Amino acid sequence: MFLSVTLALLTGFLNTLKLFVLTLVFSLPLGLLISFGSMKNLRILKYPVKFFIWIIRGTPLMLQLLVIYYGPGIILKHNIWGSGDSGRFTAALVAFVINYSCYFSEIYRGGIQSIPVGQYEAGQVLGLTKRQIFFKIILLQVIKRIIPPMSNEIITLTKDTSLARIIAVYEVIWEGQSFIKSAGIIWPLFYTGAFYLIFSGLLTLLFGYAEKKLGYFQTK
Amino acid sequence: MILEVKNLKKSFGNTEVLKDISFSMEKGDVLSIIGSSGSGKTTLLRCLNFLETPDEGVIKVNEETLFDPALSSSMSEKEIRNKRLHFGLVFQSFNLFPQYTALENVCLAPSLLAKENPSMDVSGLSDLAMGLLEQMGLSAKADNYPHELSGGQQQRVAIARALALNPDILCFDEPTSALDPELTGEVLRVIRELADKNTTMIIVTHEMSFARDVSDRAIFMDGGVIVEEGPSKQVIDDPKMERTKQFLSYYK
Repeated sequence: MFLSVTLALLTGFLNTLKLFVLTLVFSLPLGLLISFGSMKNLRILKYPVKFFIWIIRGTPLMLQLLVIYYGPGIILKHNIWGSGDSGRFTAALVAFVINYSCYFSEIYRGGIQSIPVGQYEAGQVLGLTKRQIFFKIILLQVIKRIIPPMSNEIITLTKDTSLARIIAVYEVIWEGQSFIKSAGIIWPLFYTGAFYLIFSGLLTLLFGYAEKKLGYFQTK
Repeated sequence: MILEVKNLKKSFGNTEVLKDISFSMEKGDVLSIIGSSGSGKTTLLRCLNFLETPDEGVIKVNEETLFDPALSSSMSEKEIRNKRLHFGLVFQSFNLFPQYTALENVCLAPSLLAKENPSMDVSGLSDLAMGLLEQMGLSAKADNYPHELSGGQQQRVAIARALALNPDILCFDEPTSALDPELTGEVLRVIRELADKNTTMIIVTHEMSFARDVSDRAIFMDGGVIVEEGPSKQVIDDPKMERTKQFLSYYK
């Protein structure tokens, strides 16, 4: 029994991991773009972006999942997500990417705006381009500063992936819960908790390592 | 004439910070700009370094017009960058890049510029940078990060960093205002050595005796205009204008 539960949960957790990794792959860069939009001195860009962030951060992720999955089919009379498991997974991924990009964008914005203007000016008077200033001087300082809030958000993401079950993405908790019906046992549910604990433990170690790695310099 | 500034004007909103600034410099000159806070000294330096765009006026270096209002709107980022390189600027707050060692701070800009112009020779770059750090008395600190250095050492790295691009005119914006008297001394000493090597420099400073001893000429600014200009000994020891006398009386 233990073995078959472990195998079932592993299958579910693989889906959880896939959602987690792909969400990060897309939302980390997209969040940076959104943060640039929210900082631009261009009203026609800045205010719509800020409005969008407000909507996404101000409504439950659960609601966004439902709207993104069912919305197109009902409004456009056409299921844009494709059928079956992969269609539901894609819809869940899109919802997660949009949601997390917005949260990340605010973390980036805080980090970028906390870098003293003197760092940009020093780069400018040395004849560097805006691009060089951002990538060679500013970015690493921003990364160092945002590791603590980022690690918070990313650990939250591991657990938020469980929300995808609302549109029947078979992640680990779904698998664990199925044993209540099929075998009348509750312990597989506790077992799923262990998966999350171990994974977030690993992430904590990873972020601790990154923080230490960047400890060789100090920002003002 | 290495630098010629004519009728420079700059306002922030309704505040006129520079009202009508004209002056010139010869190669090898050291010019001190003195005056109370808010007199426009720093804004003037920032205009020369293209950190601010003047509203009116002309800036020429070696007869080449770097700025006039007709030019400014059509200048590309690349053009502005090239023009900037005529000037170097040392900030009051050092602004070293914290993630790079002293040596890397000095090398960063020249090596990035060299990447864009493959014709530039980079083989001697680290020797050049080491030489500059040595000149600043910092050869032992080349591999230290800024937070491991004292304020005076950081400012000296910043001076080496500015010199690495070999600017025509090196500007200092109150280079010792963030330092205690002991550290001030070591920074002033290296600026003095640069003056002895005929480096063309503009120094905004509140160190009056230093300004008098090191610079050839001095400008006293007040309220966005040049009140008095002349040989530094005369301006600082024997000012002609009432406002200059009043300002300098606080230093006696």
